[in-house]
Amino acid sequence: MSKTSNPHEKWDSQLRKGTLELVVLASLNERQVYGLELLKSLQQLPTMQITEGTLYPLLDRLKREGLIAAEWFQEGDSRPRKYFQLTSAGTDKLALLADRWRQSVADLAYILDHPGPEPMFEE
Amino acid sequence: MNIRTELHNYLSSLNKYLARLHHDDAAEVIKEIESHILDAVEAREANGETVDMKHILAGFGSARDLASQYVDHVLQGAPPPKGFKAIQSITRGVTKGLWYSMAFFGYFMAGALALVGLAKLLFPNQVGLWSAAQGQSVVITFTDARFPMSQEVLGWWLVPLALLASGLVFILTRKVLKALRHGMP
Repeated sequence: MSKTSNPHEKWDSQLRKGTLELVVLASLNERQVYGLELLKSLQQLPTMQITEGTLYPLLDRLKREGLIAAEWFQEGDSRPRKYFQLTSAGTDKLALLADRWRQSVADLAYILDHPGPEPMFEE
Repeated sequence: MNIRTELHNYLSSLNKYLARLHHDDAAEVIKEIESHILDAVEAREANGETVDMKHILAGFGSARDLASQYVDHVLQGAPPPKGFKAIQSITRGVTKGLWYSMAFFGYFMAGALALVGLAKLLFPNQVGLWSAAQGQSVVITFTDARFPMSQEVLGWWLVPLALLASGLVFILTRKVLKALRHGMP
């Protein structure tokens, strides 16, 4: 997926800022991945064009908050890689944020589905 | 410049900007970033692509910006001592000049107060705290000539009070300098 700018780049960027924590927690749900693997997975998605400079400090913060755990692991003769996974606190936080996200999507859908001139809610 | 040199230069620069973190924390960041970069290099080589280190490093941004993101959230987790919250807002961008000025002023005052206390012990008649000008002025003197139209206050109490004030100024100066140190580039 190319990183060429698009007319929605500013919107995408603002949306990413607000949802990045949820994105990373959800990406680590029931899987253990290393940094480059996580980054490449996210960059497959059109609105998830984050950079290394955004991802790694965020992973570090989530680790310090106890939401994710990190462990260096070496397979065979390969170089050791740092793998990330959710902690139980991270799983709880993911459930909470996912609920709020779904509620936000439902709320937004309701607003989009109820244009004027009628009031949004019946008196 | 070959890719190893570019990588080394970037990580050295990053290490410099992470100096405000604990050594182990900074070392972990460096190890993690280096591991990612080497993964990216290997992935490109495996795909038969040319390795462009500048392009890989561009994903991280400048070493200074990357380090500041780590430093910001790590230090936010370690708030300053009680009563020093106001200092937190001015710690960013503290210059060496301010730090040394603060150190000089604080330690000078602590030393001067300690000297006054000790001098009163050694030269009780020459050293004292005087109320002059009918109570309009208070002066500390070290002289044989009595301050005109004045009356000594505190007396021997000047010794413990000056030493206590010296200790308090010394401790306060150390704490302020420690808090300011976090804001130095």
